[in-house]
Amino acid sequence: MPHLEHRFRAMGGPCRLRLDCADEALAARAIAAAESEARRLESKYSRYLPDSLTSTINRAAGSGQAVPIDPETSGLLGFAHTLWQQSGGLFDLTAGVLRRAWDFKSGRLPAPDAIDALLPLIGWERVQWDEAGVCLPLAGMEIDFGGCVKEYASDSIANLLAHSGIRRGLVDMAGDIAVVGAGCATDPWPVGIRHPRQRGAAIAHISLAGGGLASSGDYERCLLIDGRRYGHILSPATGWPVRGLVAVSIAAPQCLVAGGSATIAMLKPEAEALAWLGELGLPWFAVDSELRCYGELSQVSP
Amino acid sequence: MASRPGDKHPALLALTSSALLLPAYQGVRADAPPEFIELGTRYSKYEEDNTQGSKTFGGSSQRYEVDAAQFHLLAPVLDSWAVAVDVQWEDMSGASPWFVGQSLDGGPKVIMSGASIEDTRTEVSVTTRYYYDRGNAGFNYVHSDEDDYESNAVALDGAFNSADGMTTYSAAISTSADDIEPTQGSVPTNTLKDNKDISSAWIGVSRIVSKNAIVRFGLAYTYRDGFLTDPYKKNDRRPSERNEWAFSTGYRQYFFWPDGALQADYRYFDDDWGVASHTLDLAWHQNLGERTQLIPFLRYYSQGEADFFANIADTDKRHYSDDYRLSSFGAVSGGLRVRHEIGNWALSAVGERYETDESWGVYSGQESPALVNYWRYSFGLDYIFR
Repeated sequence: MPHLEHRFRAMGGPCRLRLDCADEALAARAIAAAESEARRLESKYSRYLPDSLTSTINRAAGSGQAVPIDPETSGLLGFAHTLWQQSGGLFDLTAGVLRRAWDFKSGRLPAPDAIDALLPLIGWERVQWDEAGVCLPLAGMEIDFGGCVKEYASDSIANLLAHSGIRRGLVDMAGDIAVVGAGCATDPWPVGIRHPRQRGAAIAHISLAGGGLASSGDYERCLLIDGRRYGHILSPATGWPVRGLVAVSIAAPQCLVAGGSATIAMLKPEAEALAWLGELGLPWFAVDSELRCYGELSQVSP
Repeated sequence: MASRPGDKHPALLALTSSALLLPAYQGVRADAPPEFIELGTRYSKYEEDNTQGSKTFGGSSQRYEVDAAQFHLLAPVLDSWAVAVDVQWEDMSGASPWFVGQSLDGGPKVIMSGASIEDTRTEVSVTTRYYYDRGNAGFNYVHSDEDDYESNAVALDGAFNSADGMTTYSAAISTSADDIEPTQGSVPTNTLKDNKDISSAWIGVSRIVSKNAIVRFGLAYTYRDGFLTDPYKKNDRRPSERNEWAFSTGYRQYFFWPDGALQADYRYFDDDWGVASHTLDLAWHQNLGERTQLIPFLRYYSQGEADFFANIADTDKRHYSDDYRLSSFGAVSGGLRVRHEIGNWALSAVGERYETDESWGVYSGQESPALVNYWRYSFGLDYIFR
């Protein structure tokens, strides 16, 4: 079976499709459908694009007007709500405003006053939403789907590839991975887990037979000041980086569930996070600040 | 180290159930119109075994044969509509049981219609279907015309998916008006010209129970009214109304190894003529690579006879029939379906053998000497314009 690989950029990161498909025309159609799905979700949910739904919702903040939403968006809000509930408020879709104070490229820490000024704009419990619309009550409030839309895109693209006739394949949206179709226990995909401190290196290799794998870590953006790391996982309560695990990878039947669980684990203090991962019932792998590895994620069945 | 369902933490259950509400996890995207035009053609042959000499009184024992050619077109129209046109031509020939008489040894023997019946049938079916976010709805018109029969039928159906996409509710209603004008000449007929109406309603629900399994249930009701007697059978006089009920259920499970799916279906039928039946269907869908599918299938059927059925019909009664189709019998059929795709082409073939015997059934009754065994073959060629 020919092994095709297709790379493209979407959602601010490198994307890779690996397909086992003998039919070139079928593969070409499937790849086109996959790319257009990535573009669709990017143009709908990117906070950088002024015409996106996310930007429209954020611009209407404080106006008192609800922005109409579709079932997909209310589904994502519902998932974000569940993450908020299950993390005891640590995951908060409105915490993205902290980016106004935190500039990880600047090399400087934000002024504490600047962070304190943003804290009143954070609070998922104040967002009014239902199946039909969403309303941010305060001017300046923002929501950011960045915490779950890439994982959702990975699942959605895998689903689309399966329905385009691809029977075996892997979708990798910058580390958020989904296996196409039902998977195969006897023929898993080899997948590397990124090293949190060595760029381009893998800290572990696993076999993924089905479902999804998502990773979260403070390798992605951070500040190094006086030898101390300030990761991009920020607490919505304090506005400062969480001192927790440095990397978590989780496998689940859906990449979205894997990603949400990994994010919750990253937001918790280290010991609490390890205990929570141990109870969750999903295969996991975690790295602490001393680069010690935990978990037994090596072979993942469909 | 996959998780076992029993291990699931409340957090995982909450995350999973809220994720599954999103469109990407809502099963097959069945509620999208077809993307491309599809054309298909099929040739089928249905061939009944000759009735054994020991069961007939002379006459031709050559039984029915049907040759059928089908043509199918499915085309997307606008954004959310599709139109399907199906045309079928059938050529039917052979003799059919005329009546059952008593032989000298007391056993029943069948008398076949002497001359071979020759008939052709043309059927045209047009379906328009509208697809919306959470389901689809169709309207269907069928016109069927043969030498002695004309039928016009309309049907409406709809399917609606639950918010989580895991459950689909379906319903359909249909009605038909049939005119019967038996061909005169080969045997005396029970009527010169008559008609019947058929109305039916169906409701169903199917549910995705896991990533690899789906279960469905259905209930159907049919009401027939008018001339329900077989015009070509000597000893046949049936009630002018028939109320039928059917309950059906099915389960389909996919297995990673050996990359195949098991489909099991059961149907129970009951009516106010006293006929009841059980049907059990089993099929295995085996994928061989991306392009080939082998589907062996097996069916068991058992029917209990109508209240007014008797091999030697008592024509003094109000209703009577010696038609083997209203008798008690059991039937087993099995066959193989093959499908292979080459580029935009798909080839398919089916071969099926059907055998019947009174003693195979779960209902007791007199064995009809006219019970039939048959072969059925079909070859199809489809093309998709993509």
